[in-house]
Amino acid sequence: MNVYVNSYVVVFVFLCLGILLPIVALTAGRFLRPHAPNAAKQTTYESGLDPFHDSRVQFNVRYYIFALLFVIFDVETVFLYPWAVAFEKLGAFALIEMLIFVVMLLIGLVYAWKKKVLKWM
Amino acid sequence: MSGQYIAFFVLALIALGGGIFMLNLNKVVHMVVALVFTFVSIAGIYVLLSAEFVAAVQVLIYSGAITIIMLFGIMLTRHQDDGQSTGSPLRKAFALLGTVAFGAVMYIGIRTLDFGSEAVGLHDKNTEQIGIAIYSKYVIPFELASVLLLVALIGAVILAKKDDKEAGE
Repeated sequence: MNVYVNSYVVVFVFLCLGILLPIVALTAGRFLRPHAPNAAKQTTYESGLDPFHDSRVQFNVRYYIFALLFVIFDVETVFLYPWAVAFEKLGAFALIEMLIFVVMLLIGLVYAWKKKVLKWM
Repeated sequence: MSGQYIAFFVLALIALGGGIFMLNLNKVVHMVVALVFTFVSIAGIYVLLSAEFVAAVQVLIYSGAITIIMLFGIMLTRHQDDGQSTGSPLRKAFALLGTVAFGAVMYIGIRTLDFGSEAVGLHDKNTEQIGIAIYSKYVIPFELASVLLLVALIGAVILAKKDDKEAGE
């Protein structure tokens, strides 16, 4: 148990370094750089074009289905990890279980495909 | 006061703080960031409970996928308006009453809760232990999870297609 907790002290040190790095870098930059803003400098850079319209437009619903598919297959992947790690001790039955699981989700993917959800435009 | 106790205290504070900020911030994207703080600190609490795999899943699913889906949800809706405070004093009083009642009920419920003896050796090959438990003892719930995911997938497709058609008309 002590080994387990102590190994996370290293994680904590990395976390602190990760948080401190941008803070220190940006603060140092703030003191070093000259500060002379004008209106032209403060416009959003858009490949040399003058920006127009609001940047926060309403997106098409079509994108949402991709996010949903991503979440569902993300959850599926999470189930694959412990299966893969414990596979040597589980044997062939676990393979069949996982096949049922994957086929079940494959049905969903085929359904989405047939409904032309995956088609772009 | 051991190091674990301090770590738990800090993580719990961040988790609660994230929740409070999420409720009080005005811009929706800021709310999502506050929520991510809560999710990540809960992952830290899982690590303290020797549940490394669950902690990794918490980061992967909640602060990854669920946050993405919330951001998509925000992008799909009109979100220029800042939040306005709604509700009369009476409504706020009722909300306070409800919160206090909920807190009291939860306190009474968990005060004498007994988890049995604490499991030892959970941190030893955590993922493998979970794998063996799921795929030998809890096979039926695992397969039911796949059915649940399938239902969610098909439901999402049906809903999105319906919206699409309405938008097309």
